[in-house]
Amino acid sequence: MSQANSQPLDPKKVWYWGRYGPFARAPWEKQLWIVWALLMALGLVGVVQRVVQGHLPAGYGSYVPWGLWIAIYFHAVGIATGSFLVGALGYLFGWRGLGTPSMLRTVIVLAVAVMLPAFLAVLFDLGHMERAGFILTSPNFSSMMAFNAWMYQAFVGVGVVCWFLSFRKDSGWLKPLLALDVLLATIIPSQSGAFLGVVHAKPFWNSALFPVVFLASAVTSGAAMLLVVRTLLGPEAFRWAVPDARAEHDDAIDRLRIVVSASLLLYLGLEWAEFSVNLWSPGRDEAAVHLILFGPYWWVFWIVHLALGAALPLLLLLFSRRRGAWAIASLLVAVTFLATRLNVLLPGQVVPELQGLESAFHHPRLSYTYHATAMEYLVGCFLVAVGMAVYFLARRFGAVIAFRLSQDGPGRSQ
Amino acid sequence: MGMSRRDFVRAGALSGVGLAAAAGAAIRDRVRSDTPDPSGQATVRLLAVLDNIEPKADEDVLLRMQRELKRAMAKPVEQRRWVMVIDLRKCVGCHACTIGCVAENKLPPGVVYRPVVIEEFGEFPNVRLRFTPRPCMQCDEPPCVPVCPVRATWKRPDGIVAIDYDQCIGCRYCLTACPYGARTSDFGLFYTSDAASGAPDGDATPTLGPDAAWEHQPSHEYAKHWEREEHQSPVGNARKCHFCLHRLEKGQLPMCTSTCIGRSTYFGDASDPDSLVSELIAKHDVQTLLPHHGTKPRVFYIV
Repeated sequence: MSQANSQPLDPKKVWYWGRYGPFARAPWEKQLWIVWALLMALGLVGVVQRVVQGHLPAGYGSYVPWGLWIAIYFHAVGIATGSFLVGALGYLFGWRGLGTPSMLRTVIVLAVAVMLPAFLAVLFDLGHMERAGFILTSPNFSSMMAFNAWMYQAFVGVGVVCWFLSFRKDSGWLKPLLALDVLLATIIPSQSGAFLGVVHAKPFWNSALFPVVFLASAVTSGAAMLLVVRTLLGPEAFRWAVPDARAEHDDAIDRLRIVVSASLLLYLGLEWAEFSVNLWSPGRDEAAVHLILFGPYWWVFWIVHLALGAALPLLLLLFSRRRGAWAIASLLVAVTFLATRLNVLLPGQVVPELQGLESAFHHPRLSYTYHATAMEYLVGCFLVAVGMAVYFLARRFGAVIAFRLSQDGPGRSQ
Repeated sequence: MGMSRRDFVRAGALSGVGLAAAAGAAIRDRVRSDTPDPSGQATVRLLAVLDNIEPKADEDVLLRMQRELKRAMAKPVEQRRWVMVIDLRKCVGCHACTIGCVAENKLPPGVVYRPVVIEEFGEFPNVRLRFTPRPCMQCDEPPCVPVCPVRATWKRPDGIVAIDYDQCIGCRYCLTACPYGARTSDFGLFYTSDAASGAPDGDATPTLGPDAAWEHQPSHEYAKHWEREEHQSPVGNARKCHFCLHRLEKGQLPMCTSTCIGRSTYFGDASDPDSLVSELIAKHDVQTLLPHHGTKPRVFYIV
């Protein structure tokens, strides 16, 4: 039983790291602090380089305009919306371990905490960061980029409203708004696929399958991230809110394990469909697919994605009885699925539609090869650190509000 | 737990309104064809070009094209239809058009508007080279225009696809959307960034290095003054061929057309049935690049 139930609580100490509040100190917090500090230190070096030197230290160019940051953006949006989709549906359907308002708030916080680094990734990639607001003030909705940007704002905005409404036991708008956000969480990753799918100039991207593939990827990586977060929080995090926190925690992990396994298998099936159409089309040699499977970066597909991101996690999820193993499997899935985004983004660009441009006018920025530079990796570290910080601060903020509201009597939801 | 009927109705209403608004916005922006350009009499240009030179039947095609340009500029912009015709039988791959364009538009490293693609066919002794200059196609169905999230690029009434350097956010979506690779991004490079500054000349201006005056000469694209300072447009923007719009306004042919040593590039108003470009398109079996993309280019090739 937590300290909150055994001795009088000093309200002043509630805010300080939430140590005495409704959320007890989460396990692994010390280790996560070390990881965060390292990522932030490295990341700030990259951010300073980006701000001072602009795009000069980056590896992308005009023929391969999008690189690591845009892949991170797709991956983060997928995790944010996928985790929200699973978690919010769990709340709406009352799944044990996911059906409490406190867990719903965790899901919302996770989605926002992962979405914000996605926005930052695109911001750093822009040629004019200071003009990013133009997407909101003078949007062109025939562009999937503007469409998506507005959808993200709507998703985050509705999510924040749901977060506040979740403190009320009798809110008649929480579930309708949550359902709306579930719809957005389904549309947004599909639109990410459509973002590339509408580009007729890139035959590898121009497929009706990508919106479905991206949705499946979002559910897979999002559910995996949700399982990891739920494991890291442990039953202690919700002990004050539910009578049988351990059973609720185990049920949530069990259910998420099924979702991760099923969605991963579905994703692999869709991936097979995508590749088989290209490989078996008579007379059509899809250069991009050959690059993915047999090119210089073959190991990204076979080792990072298939072996570490699919085969090993499936073995652990399906045949291990230890929940710790499931968390490790899910972490592998959540991290390595970045490779699947890279394997869509880069091969689509490095295969030119008009041959001969690279040799027509020589310059490193006019090349059909791409290698991410150190600055790009460092900024990637910064993005992860920002996500961790937002999650931590939002959880603490929520813990303070939850604790104060719990002292206000009936009508306030835990 | 679960949702009540009231929850379903409310959720349905919210979703319906949201989806309707989203669909309406997307459709509205997909079908709209307004442009920020002026039109009508305000765009008529009465240019004093070649006034003192009598037309001759055998005059140079450049003179003929310049007269036709003057005639076209005397019409409102919406009545002009600029096209370019490139005779690949005459192109010798000298790249004068490429370099002339770089000089005219003060293009920095990594930005090119008109590269010349070189292709080799056959095996010795039956070997052939083909040179294909590739400006912006100024497509009638430009794939780069609908993907711009901030409406920074649009198709002008005269057919040129323009870019507003002050509006472009540099997302590079248009670069990926162009099948011809016609758009490049200005990443802020300078030719002598890594060079030593060297000895200053008489007025203490360095001739090399990041402070060299020639590196910061302004370009006059879109009839405006653009100085390439760090983080300032056109640095960070998408850039591309615009048929030297600033020269057209003054009655001058695009630089590539003027500087071509083999007279293989022709430029003019296709809405003028007496223009040279209209004759060439009618007389020859002209082709366009990558027609299967449905872009309807306005650059035609005589092969």
